Amino acid sequence: MSTSRRVSIIRDLVLYVLTCIGLVWLVLRGAEQLGYQWHWRQVAHHLIVMGDGSLTAGPLIRGLLVTMEITLVSLVLAGGIGLTVALLRLSSSRLGRCAARVYLESIRNTPLLVQIFFFYFVVAPLFDIGRTTTAILALSLFEGAYVSEIIRAGIISIGRGQWEACYSLGLSRTQSYRAVILPQALRRILPPLTSQAVSLIKDSALVSTIAVYDVTMAGRTIVADTFLVFEVWFVVAALYLTLTLSLSALASRLERRFPRVA
Amino acid sequence: MQTILDATSADQVVIVADHLRKNFPGPVVALDDCSLQVRRGEVMVVIGPSGSGKSTLLRCLNGLETVDSGRIVIDTVPLDDQETHRLAIRRRVGMVFQSFNLFPHLTVEGNINLAQRLVRGRSRTAALATTVSLLDKVGLADALHRYPDELSGGQQQRVAIARALAMHPKVMLFDEATSALDPEMIGEVLDVMRTLAAEGMTMVVVTHEMGFAREVGDRVVFMEQGRIVEQAATDDFFQRPAKERTRAFLGLVV
Repeated sequence: MSTSRRVSIIRDLVLYVLTCIGLVWLVLRGAEQLGYQWHWRQVAHHLIVMGDGSLTAGPLIRGLLVTMEITLVSLVLAGGIGLTVALLRLSSSRLGRCAARVYLESIRNTPLLVQIFFFYFVVAPLFDIGRTTTAILALSLFEGAYVSEIIRAGIISIGRGQWEACYSLGLSRTQSYRAVILPQALRRILPPLTSQAVSLIKDSALVSTIAVYDVTMAGRTIVADTFLVFEVWFVVAALYLTLTLSLSALASRLERRFPRVA
Repeated sequence: MQTILDATSADQVVIVADHLRKNFPGPVVALDDCSLQVRRGEVMVVIGPSGSGKSTLLRCLNGLETVDSGRIVIDTVPLDDQETHRLAIRRRVGMVFQSFNLFPHLTVEGNINLAQRLVRGRSRTAALATTVSLLDKVGLADALHRYPDELSGGQQQRVAIARALAMHPKVMLFDEATSALDPEMIGEVLDVMRTLAAEGMTMVVVTHEMGFAREVGDRVVFMEQGRIVEQAATDDFFQRPAKERTRAFLGLVV
């Protein structure tokens, strides 16, 4: 390693530490101005409950599991919806293109919160579906719209020559998509898809508004009971951060393992 | 120009193109009343200045582009609106592109195996056997597990030829197969094409390589502005061109 490189790393490290110190100082100052008393030790038993010599998950961890469940299912569904809608928009069927367009524009141009309420108050009673299912439905339809645009962009970015090669070999449209176009498109859209999945995790906090007991809802309840405002929300934020960072790490590992694209 | 065929020679005709017309948006006519026939085992070379419609004509023959009017029949299958006919023709006609169009996410083996398995329904072992023997034929036996971006242009084009041949096509179409290659790689691709011609493959070759046209072509078609100006047996075409335009073109390029 050259000297200049070492110097620049040290400089970056110093800057990083200084920034962190600055942020912590800001938070502490803010709390001090409010006359806030820190009670970090009380947070622990909201995460893990110790009783009778055994450990059980506290409300925050249970909420985290609900958040993970909702986002995981929504992620899979949003992927399916996104792919279907993208293929519809690129299909030769006028009706299919039109339906996909209506779906996309109505989802993309209204707030997620309103959609969640719409599903909870209008759709759910109609079909007698539970809160968690409603939450999953609303989230996957919302994220699916964005995913469809990402997938469509990926498909369009594959050159015409690839299609022509498929056709001239006698592959059908479906076969061409599956074996040639989508594998290449997927590699290209992995970065924006990851961002969208991260968004989904964060957007899932909104399901607490329909009383789904996710990590945000757990945090709200604890804050209402204990007034540990800062401590609890910091912990909740850290839990979200853990989820999103693990997802990003997973995605970048996947990216490296993927087959190449010209 | 069009010959009237008797019953015995009719079944030897693999490609029939009758009065093809195609318009692009704009003033240029893509194809203007083009007719030609290619017999089994024949090598037809299509030449002409850029933008003369050579590639469009070729791409119409396997349905990559559609004609506005006219009739195309390949190996007794008419190319029309029916999807089954379209697929049947694409399975009989192999095509080699100027820009190779290999699948970059697959190895050479994957590239050549893919359509054999999906379209012909061959088993993995059967497909691999064909792939290996074809790679040997185009001189790339050791490239089986390489990716396209690890190969030179000439090697990629030879893989593309092998990929098309793996489908056992009745006809091979070459769309300026050597135009994107560095000069030192043109020879290796032309050699493969020469071998194919010698083995009796029916070929339609759009090219700028006049030497190759003279040496390998049975018949030559000269196109300009979407029209077929002249088509003749190779010797006649180069030694006794009938049309003034042909003489002018040959004067420029030969």
